[in-house]
Amino acid sequence: MIARTLPRPRPALWPFIPILAGFVLVAVFAPLIAPHDPDAQNLLGRLKAPGTTARDTFYLLGSDELGRDLLSRIVHGARISLAVAIASVVASGIIGTALGMVAALRGGWTGTIIMRVVDIVLSIPPILLAIITVAVLGPGIVNVVVVLALTRWPRYARVAYGQTLSVVTMPYLRIARFTGAGPVRLLWRHVLPNIIGPIIVVATLEFGLMVLFEAGLSFLGLGVQPPTPSWGSILSTGRNYVSTAWWIATFPGLCLFLLVLSVNVIGDTLRDRVDRGSD
Amino acid sequence: MPGTLGLRQATAAAALAIAALVAPLPASAAPPETLVIDIVNEPSSLDPHMQWNPDSYYVYRNIFDNLLTRTDEGEIAPQIATEWTYVSDTEIAFTIRDDVTFHDGTALTPEDVVFSVERITDPEFGSPQLGQFSSITGAEVTGDNEVTLTTETPYPALLAQLVKLSIVPKAHVEEVGTEAFNLAPVGSGPYAFDEWQRGVQVTLTRNDAYWGDTAPFAAAEFRAVPDAATRVANLQAGQSHLVVSLDPDLALQLQGAAGVEVRDVLTERVGYLNLNAQKPGLDDVELRRAVAMAIDKELIVEGLLGGFDAPIDSMITEVHAGYGGGVEGVPYDPEAAREIIEGLGEAADREFSFATSPVFDQRIVQALQQMLTDVGLDVSIEMTDMSTYLSKVRSAPADAPDMSFGRWSCACQDADGVLYPLLDSDSSWSKTRDETFDRLLSEARNTLDETERQELYHQVNERVAELVPFVPLYRAAILYGADANLVWQPTPNESMFLNRMDWSE
Amino acid sequence: MAAFLAARLFQAMIALWGVATLVFFLARMTGDPVLLLAPENATEADLQQLRVSLGFDRPLPVQYADFLAGLVQGDLGRSVAQGVPVADIIAARLPYTLWLAGGALVVALGLGLPAGIYMGVRRQSRGAKALMALVYAGQSLPTFWSGILLILVFGITLGWLPTSGARSVSSMILPSVALGLLSMATFARIARTSILDEMPKLYVRAARARGLGARATVVRHVLRNGAIPVISVAALEIANLLAGAVIVETVFAWPGLGLLTVQSINARDFPVVQGVVLLGAAAAILLNLVADLLYSAVDPRIRLGGRAT
Repeated sequence: MIARTLPRPRPALWPFIPILAGFVLVAVFAPLIAPHDPDAQNLLGRLKAPGTTARDTFYLLGSDELGRDLLSRIVHGARISLAVAIASVVASGIIGTALGMVAALRGGWTGTIIMRVVDIVLSIPPILLAIITVAVLGPGIVNVVVVLALTRWPRYARVAYGQTLSVVTMPYLRIARFTGAGPVRLLWRHVLPNIIGPIIVVATLEFGLMVLFEAGLSFLGLGVQPPTPSWGSILSTGRNYVSTAWWIATFPGLCLFLLVLSVNVIGDTLRDRVDRGSD
Repeated sequence: MPGTLGLRQATAAAALAIAALVAPLPASAAPPETLVIDIVNEPSSLDPHMQWNPDSYYVYRNIFDNLLTRTDEGEIAPQIATEWTYVSDTEIAFTIRDDVTFHDGTALTPEDVVFSVERITDPEFGSPQLGQFSSITGAEVTGDNEVTLTTETPYPALLAQLVKLSIVPKAHVEEVGTEAFNLAPVGSGPYAFDEWQRGVQVTLTRNDAYWGDTAPFAAAEFRAVPDAATRVANLQAGQSHLVVSLDPDLALQLQGAAGVEVRDVLTERVGYLNLNAQKPGLDDVELRRAVAMAIDKELIVEGLLGGFDAPIDSMITEVHAGYGGGVEGVPYDPEAAREIIEGLGEAADREFSFATSPVFDQRIVQALQQMLTDVGLDVSIEMTDMSTYLSKVRSAPADAPDMSFGRWSCACQDADGVLYPLLDSDSSWSKTRDETFDRLLSEARNTLDETERQELYHQVNERVAELVPFVPLYRAAILYGADANLVWQPTPNESMFLNRMDWSE
Repeated sequence: MAAFLAARLFQAMIALWGVATLVFFLARMTGDPVLLLAPENATEADLQQLRVSLGFDRPLPVQYADFLAGLVQGDLGRSVAQGVPVADIIAARLPYTLWLAGGALVVALGLGLPAGIYMGVRRQSRGAKALMALVYAGQSLPTFWSGILLILVFGITLGWLPTSGARSVSSMILPSVALGLLSMATFARIARTSILDEMPKLYVRAARARGLGARATVVRHVLRNGAIPVISVAALEIANLLAGAVIVETVFAWPGLGLLTVQSINARDFPVVQGVVLLGAAAAILLNLVADLLYSAVDPRIRLGGRAT
């Protein structure tokens, strides 16, 4: 009956999986796809509109503030943006979820300490962590991931904690405990499958946010090092040219939008499958 | 102050607020009551002796008079001192104006001048500017309207430094104390301090009793707007009359817009590429020359900087005292550079670090990196925040980066303030250890004979072109955006005097 | 309940001490403010002189003890760059941060929750899909880009709103929208997700079997149970809005604490950094406490005290 009023949804995945797959393929095969060297400058061919040719170079999506081919930079930028986002989501997700589950399951002092550390980390401004990381470890892509992972794991920890708390009171978990399941097995077999849905939702939201955060770090001058292109760094430069060379910000912005959209829709569907599996 | 955005306004009808407050500044020919100026950050302090940064300077320089000033052309000119004579090589007597009053109504006296010198040179007070005035060993009232300053040794840049010495009221400062003075500064300048809305703006009101020129604006607001794109938007929307620190590409955006203009001037600031001559590879003058040969300054200025700036071969310019004509730098020759680098083999075959900071124009840094890559060098940019950058480039040569981008200004328009810190072996900026440089710089620092100084600095410049401890790139322009009706000429020392501004009908 | 509160408050004090200690030493890993305070041509001796007069030459433990002693007396110290008590600087900036966070929260909740509930209940409808596209769009724009676009469109082209600053209520609108759009997506998605989580559950079927209408079921049961994740995220999101408006504040020259944080970190103005971070920590801890109290209010199965087994 409920099924009729609220039909089990099947989101149309077909445009999104190809889009995401497309971005991944572009990222993997960037050197083969990019028509030009993404770092090759042409100071006499700066800010050329899409479709123009300057000094024997055809700029399909126009050229940037240093006369580099925007298309090639976006293609190579896909690599950096995807890699940074994936790496930081995975790192922060694993750390945060594990600590959140442990905190809820063990409770007591362990739980208290973990959750208060979460509070502490949440209250340190990410920008401070970013500047410290750059000052101490030096700038670079790996350290951008370090900054993002250090700042973002508490989000997973809070959600995992909240979700685990509502799961641990369920009868089946008591039975599992009673039958002598070890803590690792308990977490892995009984808790994780029941809380993975919200975690994946958070992870997909975070994935988009990580792309944006990386962009924000670029805007503040703490992101990937120039001339390495990322969508965020292209966009943060391009914003100064919105009224004189609209293409620099528009195309990477569009890519970013499509990426976030696709990942979120796919994440949603995954969540449904996980839920069904545990029913 | 919370009240400014408090409940009073919040509860007022939003529509009314929008209609009343959003209306752009009237674009009539009459000068605005309040001149609105967008600077980058809010001043750190308006006590002229407590800080040293451009945003504070823009504001406090209008509240205070200095002992000396500069004309728009850059000549040292009278302000509180009307004239000065060298009593000896180490003593200068200044005649002090007798018709100046502070904003609290008291008269400015020679005692205030002496107090100001003693305050800024007192190590206990801890002025960041102490180093600029530490050559002064004595300040005395030596007549009705006369103050004599003594230096330990003859110091040719003293007058240039005194252009930066603001005169504060002795009686008032001693009465209220440093903390209260910092909150409500009292000076003698063309504008008086009115209100500081922390984080938002500083408001000044015109000092109608001012002894010198006055401006047509009854008040001035200095607002902190950190994002350059937003400053441009403010100007275009008519919400400000003058904005500072634009890059050439943002300036282009203004050139097409109605009612606003770009105002530019070549400053005393010079962009340069510093080379760490103590690092492997770069310790060879051949490689340093090859680096210089690889850089097309003309292309950077014309292609990238919109032609506002000017290519240069020395770190000092015609607005610097001690400048004795230009020198021939290392010519642009990428083929020769490539050959040298190939010839050096292993020595040039490593990754060179290239330090920069977000405050610099990253397009220039990337263009430089590309030019060096083109001749076969492996250069990687390391961008860090300004503080980290400074501590890196000022550390011992072994710990410092191989290369760094910088823009040098001593804010004194004197060769000593440029070449001494950049080249002397004892300076933390310098990565050069050369006795000839040290001797020339020291001799030039200790003579008052301008011809001799020019000759010595010319030798320094020629030796720079020969040994390439750094590559001077371009003399930097400073770009402002201004309401087309604002009459104002920016100056090479990046000052902003409200009373030198006017409004055209 | 009282014992729980006392325990949490005690923990909060420990956490604040932890934050204070962490930020004190972390900040000092980044150098000191002297290089930025002095003119470029200051010599090493000048710099050292400045260090001495600011007290940065003293051993770290001494500085730390000094800082803690001040903190216990409620004294956050004096800004190195501005020479003004940190408390005064923060007091001047805090109202702007609260206004912006409030404005953004109004935008985010006002648009996000209804959109999320609608998307959850009417999942397959065309309207839900259109809404979702809008929500995603709001979420996938970096604020430094959407901010400048908002300024160009509403500030320059249309001339309706101030381009930047904090002069009037109207100047709050653009930054609130720019900041709120990001959180709107968060609220909408979480609301939708938790509604979907609740819908297939037994109590919903039971309610429907009892003859309760679809709308009443949602309003009376689903929303209440679906509120836990929303509250959990809201607490985080408010903390984020309070602390994380850095970029929006930079773009719109909004004088809030985010901008102050960045500027004082960049200037190595440690007392200000410490003050802002401690305030943020206190706010975050308080919000978390409130969230935990609300958890137990909406779902009595969760027992307070963090010991659920």
